[in-house]
Amino acid sequence: MWRNLLGLRQISQRTISTAPRRQLENRVAEKQKLFQEDNGIPVHLKGGLMDALLYRLTMGLTVFGTAYVIYELCVASMPKKQK
Amino acid sequence: MAHQAHSYHMVDPSPWPILGAAAALLTTSGLAMWFHYHSTQLLALGLLSMLLIMLQWWRDIVRESTFQGHHTPAVQKGLRYGMILFITSEAFFFLGFFWAFFHSSLVPTPELGGQWPPTGISPLNPLEVPLLNTAILLASGVTVTWAHHSITEANQKQAIHALTLTILLGFYFTALQATEYYEAPFSIADGVYGSTFFVATGFHGLHVIIASSFLLVCLLRLAKFHFTSHHHFGFEAVAWYWHFVDIIWLFLYTTIYWWGS
Repeated sequence: MWRNLLGLRQISQRTISTAPRRQLENRVAEKQKLFQEDNGIPVHLKGGLMDALLYRLTMGLTVFGTAYVIYELCVASMPKKQK
Repeated sequence: MAHQAHSYHMVDPSPWPILGAAAALLTTSGLAMWFHYHSTQLLALGLLSMLLIMLQWWRDIVRESTFQGHHTPAVQKGLRYGMILFITSEAFFFLGFFWAFFHSSLVPTPELGGQWPPTGISPLNPLEVPLLNTAILLASGVTVTWAHHSITEANQKQAIHALTLTILLGFYFTALQATEYYEAPFSIADGVYGSTFFVATGFHGLHVIIASSFLLVCLLRLAKFHFTSHHHFGFEAVAWYWHFVDIIWLFLYTTIYWWGS
């Protein structure tokens, strides 16, 4: 698999010089280096600051939502006040 | 760094599974709040958190496979089994709606006028837009296969063209179906004809939208050189799913649109 990846990288590097400017450059090797760094960070945070921010946002929304569900469940479980 | 003596993938601890379960709780509770208390906030929150979690979970899988190399042949085999089992479960899902359709249409009750289509229902002409939609999906099946061959032959430019064409055909189908829904002389509330028609074709349309989104993600990954000629399971998974969606349409067209008209 690695040889294929490296091979593809070489092919794409060869074609980049003649390819139209709109085509993206092959940055897979950079990503591989970043995510294979031996720093003990789990994959969902390994990309950097954006990962941590997105994680906090998601966790915040979900925890808040879960608490809200339990609250609404309690409200719905109580008998309606009679006049 | 610790090395494993096996070819399987022991994933890093991740918050997405439990948060995904919580998002499902929020979404279902949100539906209950909408139906019974006319409040859509919880549903919106549930759908938003579901979207965030899906994006991050699948992003992590791309990282684990393309960037960290964890998807060995053994792991890939498991993923293949998983996708096949998932598609099979979806086939059973649609089977239920086809059952409902045949239950009502094979023995039309007196309330329907003892006929199918029921009295007062003017069905869509199967030889107009529905036939075009059939041609579109069949053509998209060809283009997605073309894209696959291009990938295995390491022809990046052609693969991008073929996959883009597939996605455009998918959007064209969805747009045409949307106009059909808008122009249809009957609605979902028009008895069992309306129910079976719109629930079956509606869920199909939803699956077309989901598959189109998956195709779009694959296009982005293809453009970023994530796929190699020998290892591109993400693409294969969507190709399988796309063919499945096409086959469901063929069943819908021949039974509900054609036989049922």
